[in-house]
Amino acid sequence: MRPALEATGLGVRHRRTWALRDCSLSVPAGRVAALVGPNGAGKTTLMHAAVGLLRPALGSVRVAGAAAFVAQDKPLYESFTVAEMLAFGRRMNTRWDDAAAAGRLAGLGIPLRRRVSGLSGGQQAQVAVTLALAGRPDLLVLDEPLANLDPLARHDVMRSILGEAAGRELTVLLSSHVVSDLADTCDWLIVLNGGRLQVSGDIEELLDDHLVLTGPGEASAAGTRVVAASRTGRQAGLLVRGGPPLDPRWRARRPGLDELVMGYLRSPDSAALPHLTRAGA
Amino acid sequence: MIWVTWRQHRAQILVTAGLLALLGVVLLGSAVEASRYVAEHAPPGCPGPAVACGDLAAALGQRYDAVYSVFGWMPLVAPALIGAFWGAPLLGREYERGTHRLAWTQSVPVRRWLAVKLSVLGGAVAAGGLLLSLMVSLWRPVFREGIDSTFGNIGVFNMVGVEPAAWWLYAFALGTLAGTLFRRTLPAMALVVAGVAVTMFTLFQVSDHYAEPVRTELSGTVLLDDPDARLVRAAWVEPSGREVAEPARSGCPRGVDVGRSARSTEAWQACLFGTGYRYAVYHHPPSRFWRFQWTEAGILALASAAFGGLSVRRVLRRPG
Repeated sequence: MRPALEATGLGVRHRRTWALRDCSLSVPAGRVAALVGPNGAGKTTLMHAAVGLLRPALGSVRVAGAAAFVAQDKPLYESFTVAEMLAFGRRMNTRWDDAAAAGRLAGLGIPLRRRVSGLSGGQQAQVAVTLALAGRPDLLVLDEPLANLDPLARHDVMRSILGEAAGRELTVLLSSHVVSDLADTCDWLIVLNGGRLQVSGDIEELLDDHLVLTGPGEASAAGTRVVAASRTGRQAGLLVRGGPPLDPRWRARRPGLDELVMGYLRSPDSAALPHLTRAGA
Repeated sequence: MIWVTWRQHRAQILVTAGLLALLGVVLLGSAVEASRYVAEHAPPGCPGPAVACGDLAAALGQRYDAVYSVFGWMPLVAPALIGAFWGAPLLGREYERGTHRLAWTQSVPVRRWLAVKLSVLGGAVAAGGLLLSLMVSLWRPVFREGIDSTFGNIGVFNMVGVEPAAWWLYAFALGTLAGTLFRRTLPAMALVVAGVAVTMFTLFQVSDHYAEPVRTELSGTVLLDDPDARLVRAAWVEPSGREVAEPARSGCPRGVDVGRSARSTEAWQACLFGTGYRYAVYHHPPSRFWRFQWTEAGILALASAAFGGLSVRRVLRRPG
């Protein structure tokens, strides 16, 4: 299948430092991809490069079809009314589904005559997402769409994005640093850390491919590849790839998504990238 | 894109148009009133150079000064306002509010967004400047016909011809560039105000060199009979033909004037002329009006184009 988003050897520099280095990934079409990593990992940089707000210093990033972007602070023109924001979208886009946008806002109970500055944070986020969706994009890129929203608004925004994604061939790339927001909604995982790509893959396959091992500290991890290790007293806990381990003293179980992400973020040198996944499977 | 430009900048467009309309009404009213006054009070043959026209000339002069004081500050303040409210927010506010990430991720390419905004708003600014120039050019002759042209006074010179359009465009381009540099509106506004003031002062100094000054040698008086010329410098010419700044060993006594009296200086000058001294005045005659207009407009237009190009380059290099 043709990837919706493909980066090859992508490198972006801010002044002297590399915000993103040697990043190669591809997200298949129709996926809801979660982009996670600590602050400063390069999430926003990758997204800006994908939607053309940044020119890469090295490599390239390609989107199949049209991309729509909702930036982190969900910018809208505050002096515009909601109807004027729709007019803005209509005039700035070649593809535009006005009826769908108006219908979506009506369904959310957002009045068209209200000024943007008079909307709540959740409503502003919904208007921004509506604008992005009305352009009928092939790829929807959302930078921290849930930041600064109360739990109810987080749920509503997320549900409406997923509803759209399920309804048609739309690939979604959304970033967050709260992994629990993403566990139920995303089916592809990208982990960035310190400007480097650590993980890119199907979430189910990744979870199937990893084990959490607990056992005595002296047990051997032979037969697996250790991603991250931690020790409490004489007990050792490992996140490993492949397996099961040869040493019978280990107790093994499937990791949760946040355990997997935390394991990789704690060990910046580990990586689970597509070609490795295929080789190991 | 045109609608977007209008919607985002209609406040500036409407306020500017309103102020120009208001000024137009004031100028029209004053011109109509003055024409009526002339029709009712002018002795035959007036206005003109005849002695009988003195009272009329004084009355017109008063009216002119009253209105001129209302908008005489425009050559400096109008470009500063244009730069601060049309130029500085154009990109500065987009960056400040983060809306550039909205505007530049739609299907309209950034290049076209910039092209439309810069050309539509730049065109509107230039048109506004030309409108000001047209109104002042129609109003002024009602009062000053036969008295002076618009060349000698730099303030008036900057309000007629193509000057206002060039200055407004320059300020707009400077404000736009400042907005991309600071990525904030307020510092960009401050830079525009300072930049316009500095540019105006600089061009005022430079304008003497737009052409080679004309040299006129006077004898018997130090006053050029054309009051509307721009003086560049003056010097005394010794009987030998050498130009000196201060006559030395002329033998003429130079007394001290007290208060506002100039009697001693005048006596000294008369003595110098009597001993064969002449007075050389370097000046630009009013016939150079268009040459000076186009020279200054050319400088400003080149600078505007450079500022606009730099803004576009900065934006395209790093739009995010």
